[in-house]
Amino acid sequence: MRVQYIQGPVWAKTGEQLRKSVVFGINPLTGKKVAEEIVDKLTRPLAPEDTRTGQIKREMGPPTYTGTAAELQQLYLEKRYTDFMPIILPTEELVNEMLKSTSHDPDEPLGRMFPGSGAGETWTYTVKVAAINAVMAGAKPEYFPVILALGSTGSTAINVSDNGFAAAAVINGDIRDEIGLNYDVGAVGPYAHANVAIGRAWNLLSINGGNCGKVGTTYMGTVGNAQNALATIIAENEEKSPFQPLSVRKGFQKGENIVTLFSGWGILSAKNWKVNEWTTVMDYPMMAKAIHEGQTPGLFGTVLVLSPPIANFIADDGYDTVEKFTEYVTGASAKPEPKGKFGGFNMGPGFQVIVTGASNNNYWMAGGLREGQSIAIDNWR
Amino acid sequence: MKRFIFAAGIAALCLGLFCSFPTMNDQVQAASTEKMTVLNPMGTPPAIQAKQMAPRLDTLDGKTIYFVNTGYIGTDRLMEVMSDWFKANYPKTNIVMARGSMTNIPPAVMAEIGEKADAAIVGLGH
Amino acid sequence: MEVSFNYGMPGLRIQYFLGPVWAKTNEQLKKQIVEGNNPINGKPVMKELVESLTKPLTAEEKKMGELKRDMGPATYTGTADELQQLFLEKRYTDFMPVILPTEEKVAEMLKATSHDPDEQLGRMNPGSEAGETWTYTVKTAAINAVMAGAKPEYFPVILALGSTGSTAINVSDNGFAAAAVINGDIRDEIGLNYEEGAVGPYAHANTAIGRAWNLLSINGGNCGKVGTTYMGTVGNAQNALATIMAENEEMSPFQPLSVRRGFQKGENIVTLFSGWGVLSAANWKVNAWGPDMNYPQIAKDIYAQQSPGLFGTVLILSPPIADFIADDGYDTVEKFTEFVTGGSAGGGFGGFGGPGKKPAGKPAGEPAGKPAGKPAGKPAAKFGGFGMGGNFHVIVTGASNNNYWMAGGLMPGRSVNIDEWR
Repeated sequence: MRVQYIQGPVWAKTGEQLRKSVVFGINPLTGKKVAEEIVDKLTRPLAPEDTRTGQIKREMGPPTYTGTAAELQQLYLEKRYTDFMPIILPTEELVNEMLKSTSHDPDEPLGRMFPGSGAGETWTYTVKVAAINAVMAGAKPEYFPVILALGSTGSTAINVSDNGFAAAAVINGDIRDEIGLNYDVGAVGPYAHANVAIGRAWNLLSINGGNCGKVGTTYMGTVGNAQNALATIIAENEEKSPFQPLSVRKGFQKGENIVTLFSGWGILSAKNWKVNEWTTVMDYPMMAKAIHEGQTPGLFGTVLVLSPPIANFIADDGYDTVEKFTEYVTGASAKPEPKGKFGGFNMGPGFQVIVTGASNNNYWMAGGLREGQSIAIDNWR
Repeated sequence: MKRFIFAAGIAALCLGLFCSFPTMNDQVQAASTEKMTVLNPMGTPPAIQAKQMAPRLDTLDGKTIYFVNTGYIGTDRLMEVMSDWFKANYPKTNIVMARGSMTNIPPAVMAEIGEKADAAIVGLGH
Repeated sequence: MEVSFNYGMPGLRIQYFLGPVWAKTNEQLKKQIVEGNNPINGKPVMKELVESLTKPLTAEEKKMGELKRDMGPATYTGTADELQQLFLEKRYTDFMPVILPTEEKVAEMLKATSHDPDEQLGRMNPGSEAGETWTYTVKTAAINAVMAGAKPEYFPVILALGSTGSTAINVSDNGFAAAAVINGDIRDEIGLNYEEGAVGPYAHANTAIGRAWNLLSINGGNCGKVGTTYMGTVGNAQNALATIMAENEEMSPFQPLSVRRGFQKGENIVTLFSGWGVLSAANWKVNAWGPDMNYPQIAKDIYAQQSPGLFGTVLILSPPIADFIADDGYDTVEKFTEFVTGGSAGGGFGGFGGPGKKPAGKPAGEPAGKPAGKPAGKPAAKFGGFGMGGNFHVIVTGASNNNYWMAGGLMPGRSVNIDEWR
């Protein structure tokens, strides 16, 4: 396939800029004139290898590798089986140990994944592939049903998008305590083994099971996203929240073990925003509304990650359900988007609330993350 | 230390596309039992000498207690409410409000506490 | 408790109550705290407080002399699996697997510097003046660099970071992220990525250096331990790896950050950043996509919505966005800063109020309508102490495949010469 490269992007340039930098410009890879290359590609006869048909073989390597630990760490790094960080080497013994924590057959197809945004191939992977990647992430076997639930969705943790998406997941139910998920100090961050290892297993399964996150082919983030280092696994602090858990609001029973996917730009401390100025009296509902009104309404909308004290302030102000709070916050902005917007991306003014973290200060986070599927974890035991 | 390792990427693609070799073979090997020696990664904490603690009071009656507000927002209110509680429950106790900062108590305030207070309660955290 | 231990008062009597105190009324404080119970042991708060003042000191509380703590042996021996587990349990890791630091690998790492292994490299505390200040040597840094999977050629950068004593994992309950920007020829020498995925875990050098800084902060500086040296109320997702960015100097229309800070072009410099972190600029409504984009104005509009104190505003521009801005007449970061901030971003550490002038353009939207149940006209006393002026900073990195960029709150700290650590 003959592809003509130009100096991009095309978007937001004037006709004059496009003429100068693209049409009469040069191919940034070859340094040759774009217009001349296009004519050449249209008229040059096909070479013998261009006329070949039939199945294209690709080198996938052997099913096992043998070597010293140091050699194998290096090999996995070079073959891009990792996220550039050291792994636990997945021996058969460790993989079997992982597989014991599910009743599902190791060879059962678990999911189909592609890099997102309709780009790239769709790969498939089994329960065993998930176990291998879970071992590599250092996950304990008791985390494995959560990892399988995530894998079953086929959602990648590392989207190809040139705008750099972050992935997150919220976990509700009794499994939070069962496997030691942290929903106290540092809940949104790498501060407990379960949160970290599950997030990393999802990243590694995306890289190896779904062939995602390979720079230049299945990863195209122009600038990137710092939150891709680990998919963010958030357990709700259901016990301290004045609201129903996210899973209950989505129709599940309280106590049921549910993981809900999120995708978007990520989140920052709400203190990043000017409206959250520290004073002796804080009107948190008003601040939430002001932040929401500054957020891009299409795409990923607004997510708030509230510590229990902030959630309680909001409930005490009369917004004692997320629905009431949502209505207050989005009321002014829920009108339809003006026409003539760019592309088919508008998904309405999303607004979602997650409650987690400790009660040691009045802090909270805001950003753009939109919820996706919710999956029952116990189906993967 | 030789080990057998599964190639995650390979297994994945094998199932999805061609599958010309078994996804996982039977070449199982036990995890290595070979011992290795690795280094402790910790830095060095400062040495600490235990300080002498002040003796406790036998009674609060007739005693002066300093409440040190370190300035975190809301501490003034809490100390006011606590002071009210002492006035109601320990009317013979003298409560004095003093001011520190979030990182230290100024030397003048410390000296005053040393001279005039029988005990001090310092507000920490938020 | 750890703080009082560190000050030689392990028996300091501490009264816990259910916080936070901030933003509560006197009535709420009375009901929840003064008449409430200690959340840890369930006993009435004020009864315990009086007991703390009057119960005689125990023999344990009277003890004097040096307080011993168990730092563990200099080496550990076991199988690889046992040692991974041990390092995890002892909290020597960031909860991710490590390369086990054998003497051989550490010696290999140390070859990449002329500095003596026993030289004191830095002094670190968890930030915000909380906790103890620990010290660590060049060898400690090498051990942690091995654990992160760093190649020896990255080691001078890791040493430069370690020499600053700045933690990658600040104790703050408001959850700070750490980042560093690298300029100079070393970017290509060690394979730092400043193309696609430049801000993210998309190359070994960026990832391993960021992780080595995290691990050195955990082990060398005793940072990031939840409950003692880490108190993030909600946390920060960007703590997973300290964010190591190399500027795309070649594609940028601006002078590199290091040159703007007084170094020569080509010199290998790392500049620290600390703050909330960054998000895609597409998060903000003012960056709505259209066929024509006025990027300088959009930047100004985002700046107007940012908290002016503390960490100010950072923009991470891909080369195409930087070019648009330069083409609009802002061909230096100084001119662009002047436009965005209205001349208020002198980097001064003034009062809390932030920039002196409000930027023109769209004001940050105050929402229409008053929330129910809030009396109007409540006092709004400013909460002082932290103001650092209206900082505004620009970093150029990434690829040219689309018009994307990031914004957020990050403030630069020191710039350090990397070559001094070779």
